[in-house]
Amino acid sequence: MPRTTSGTRRLFRWIGNGLLLVMLVWTLVPFYWMIATSLKADREIYGFEATLVPHHPTLAAYVRLFQQTPFLKYVRNSTIIAVSTTAVSLVFGCLGAYALARLRFRGRRLIARGLVFTYLVPPSLLFIPLFAMMSALSLADTHQGLILAYLGFTVPFCTWLLMGYFRSVPLELEEAALVDGCTRLGALIRVVLPMSLPALAVVAFFSFTQAWNEFLYANVFVNSVEVRTITTGLTMFIIEDVFFWGPMMGAAFLSALPPLVVYLIFQRWVVKGLTLGAVKG
Amino acid sequence: MTKTNVTRRQMLKTAAAASLATTGPWWLVRGSHGARAKKLVFWQLPNFTPLADQLQKEQVYEFAKSAGLKESEVEYATVANEGFAEKLAAALEAGNPPDVARLYESNVQFYAAQGHLLDVTDLVDKMRREPKGIFDSSLTAVRYNGRAYGVPLAVNPWPVHARIDLLEQHKLDYPKTWDEFIETCRKIQSPPRLFGFGMCLGLVEDTTDNVMNLLWCYGGKMVEADNKTVVMNSPENAAGVKVIEAMFRTHKIIPQGTIGWDNSGNNKAYQSRQAAFVMNPTSIYAYLNQSDPDLQKRTGLFPVPAGPKGTVNLIDTWAFGAFKQNPYPELARGLISHFMQPANYDKIIQSTGGRWVPVYKRLFDSPFWKSKPEFKHFVGMAETGMPVSYAGSPTPAAGEVLNTHVIPKMIQRVLVDNWEPPRALEECHRRIEEVYARNLKL
Amino acid sequence: MTSGVDPALLYPDERAVATPVLRARRRLSLTRRHEARLAYALLLPVLLVILGLVAYPFVSAVYLSLQNKPVGARGHFVGLANYVELFRDEVFFQTVRNTIVYTTVGVSLKFVLGLTMALILDQKRRFNNVFRMLLFIPWAVPVVIAALNWRWIFDDLSGFLNNFLITVGLTRDIISWLADPRLAMGCVIAVVVWQGTPFYTMTFLAGLQAIPHELYEAAEIDGASVVRQFVHITVPRLRTIFLTTVMLSTIWTATNLQFVLILTRGGPANRTEIFPHLAYVTALGARRLGMGAAVSLAFFPLLVILIILLTRRMLSQTDD
Repeated sequence: MPRTTSGTRRLFRWIGNGLLLVMLVWTLVPFYWMIATSLKADREIYGFEATLVPHHPTLAAYVRLFQQTPFLKYVRNSTIIAVSTTAVSLVFGCLGAYALARLRFRGRRLIARGLVFTYLVPPSLLFIPLFAMMSALSLADTHQGLILAYLGFTVPFCTWLLMGYFRSVPLELEEAALVDGCTRLGALIRVVLPMSLPALAVVAFFSFTQAWNEFLYANVFVNSVEVRTITTGLTMFIIEDVFFWGPMMGAAFLSALPPLVVYLIFQRWVVKGLTLGAVKG
Repeated sequence: MTKTNVTRRQMLKTAAAASLATTGPWWLVRGSHGARAKKLVFWQLPNFTPLADQLQKEQVYEFAKSAGLKESEVEYATVANEGFAEKLAAALEAGNPPDVARLYESNVQFYAAQGHLLDVTDLVDKMRREPKGIFDSSLTAVRYNGRAYGVPLAVNPWPVHARIDLLEQHKLDYPKTWDEFIETCRKIQSPPRLFGFGMCLGLVEDTTDNVMNLLWCYGGKMVEADNKTVVMNSPENAAGVKVIEAMFRTHKIIPQGTIGWDNSGNNKAYQSRQAAFVMNPTSIYAYLNQSDPDLQKRTGLFPVPAGPKGTVNLIDTWAFGAFKQNPYPELARGLISHFMQPANYDKIIQSTGGRWVPVYKRLFDSPFWKSKPEFKHFVGMAETGMPVSYAGSPTPAAGEVLNTHVIPKMIQRVLVDNWEPPRALEECHRRIEEVYARNLKL
Repeated sequence: MTSGVDPALLYPDERAVATPVLRARRRLSLTRRHEARLAYALLLPVLLVILGLVAYPFVSAVYLSLQNKPVGARGHFVGLANYVELFRDEVFFQTVRNTIVYTTVGVSLKFVLGLTMALILDQKRRFNNVFRMLLFIPWAVPVVIAALNWRWIFDDLSGFLNNFLITVGLTRDIISWLADPRLAMGCVIAVVVWQGTPFYTMTFLAGLQAIPHELYEAAEIDGASVVRQFVHITVPRLRTIFLTTVMLSTIWTATNLQFVLILTRGGPANRTEIFPHLAYVTALGARRLGMGAAVSLAFFPLLVILIILLTRRMLSQTDD
């Protein structure tokens, strides 16, 4: 019996390898096209002369990016905003999710459900009242204003997802901690959070990328270079009805790197979370 | 008792930690500036050349200095074209619009109608008093109820960008009529590598402009000069639509993909040498100037071919508008005046390499405009050009028709859904009537 | 004292029998009195965020949808007139159909691909970390840029796809990806799937890794096949995550504007017109904010029903 299982496992491994290859191609080809475009001169970008591989690779697009635009400032702003959004959403999310997962009180279901409903309201409907609010608070065109606005879509998600994970942490472990003299919050910090590291990694990564990639609010709220983020900076390469594809794709490629680095960092946590969970469970 | 206290202390601690984490970012970036401590806020759309951007910025600060403003009291914001509508809408709703901005004609009309723009008739009158004056065709775009609410910064003609090298190769002249045009396209094209006519037919503004310009040549129009009577369902329009249909289906001189193009579609097709003719503002020409001089040399800029009812060229207008909320209207007007001083103005216009056609007639006397044969039709186009809403003038309703792609949807009914042109025009007529009626009520 | 508490916890003489376990239980019961207060305190930031950043704008949007309000002008209350106008428009019903097709197909594909990928990445393999990172790339690319890049790939004349297909000889004619009424919706969905799958993979993978290995080992010893293990261990353990992910993704897909705005603008001939885009064109193209809000809200009921169905299962499942 075990032999057949391992046989099927091997079969699945090979199917897995095949599918993985297909998925890698599907995922990476568009990304490749982005990088290839950023390394081409315009003659190679357009038309039937458009080459699948850059024949005369050039870094001109990147030179333009760094010499003629405040690209590094955009990177700085995006970083400040994304990191802050992530930190705040995690704190808010953990506290709220713990309450929803473990504590009993009136309105619990209502709030839990309300979290999801917040996403029903499309940002394209929210940005005008939100901008009016930010202007009134003198937060328009500031880092803080954008961070605050982004909490609107990261916090409900963090809370909701963490709530699900917190519930899957065995209650007995927490009770044992309470027996050892922990308070509720002590239990949250010492027992629930370490066991939920994979979930924390997911929501942190999610918040970071959401804040990093957001366009609509960033475009509406921000006027000055000192606050402008990468996504809106990128669209400066669309002048009237002409796209300057080279530098735009170069910037897009560079802007995709930080989320990937963040993912790499958090991915280690996911594995650690796994081993911790195995030891304790 | 003590145990509850522990919980409370723990709660306090957590609350403190949470509030610290929350406010942390505030403290970190506290230095960045607040919303509106500025006296002069200028929104600039990116220009084709970095040099033009540079000059524009210099002029803003030059003016600010002469008006006694500190640099910190001026906000010069480059605002992307992408998402401009959202940005301006939100700014107005929040009561925080820029003081001066570069606005497209439909924006000037709409916000003039809402009473958001400063009356700048005196500035325009001053410009008209310059020797030789300005192109009056650009004034309809900024006039609302007889007053000017924007200062035309340039006339924007839509010539046919044509590959003169291909014409020469086939020993052909630039076609005089649409019939000749179709023949010429059939001769010189070799699909899929090269198509005759990169006519924009996607759900974008360029399509309305391209389609209307052709319909005019067949005697069609959108609305009568009273700006009330919609005449979309006319036999003339149907005849024009049939020509487009024939070019698309029978002669196949328009690539099938144009149904999916955005505003950049015809630019790309021409820039990639895959279309012999396109109708577009000179952004293509300006792009070539910067990025593909070889193709620029092979490019001619011509008036639109004639139909049974002659020919007329489309023009549209960009303008500087000043918003009323500004507590310092004199600064806003001063800045616009400064930009429009012929010497300052000429510098920027020339630095864009043919992108903008100057609104002052006498600037055409300069060697820059005399030097190149492709510019020779510009004066004629600027003199006689018509706005897209012809025979009506630019109005808020016309702007809405343009922005909601009513006419592109009509043409797609014909080319995608296979509707007969009169039926599609009937639907389009109803929608445009609704738009005009609603806007009249406002 | 507190009602609904296990009577054993209300033992009369607490100090006399204060074994550690009982003391802890007693503390549980004591805190339970403060539980609600603690819960509200913990939830306060979340509630503030929701009320301030979502609920208030939402209510204002509902009110807006009852007005005739051009951008920058004062609105007039018109009751349900906007909705009436909307329901009279045949394009509206086409939009409903399109949105449902677009959302259902998009979400299903993302689910299947995401789960497949998560299972594959959960296998032991060399360089798995690298593969994981590579497969997350689409999520790291800003939506606007991803959409622009895909537009460029689908471009009829200069695009990668036609270029590639012609180069390898699969087709000789140009395929008008975004202009062909039979292909346009498929192209939009493909992009949505490309960009959204990593989110599924990521959450599913995290869920898979939280399943203790012992469960599989035990099943293996019992002779359960891989498929049985998947059905009886993996799926039940991931159910909550499935529901959450599908629900959130459904909402995000159905309310996303950028893909359609950049790829097709609802064309050709309304074939890809979906709610967020119709709302956008109405609110910012026609500058009718009230009408735009009405368009956005008109799609609400469908999503609300979906969420109620999904959350009911989720909340009841874990409540006991």
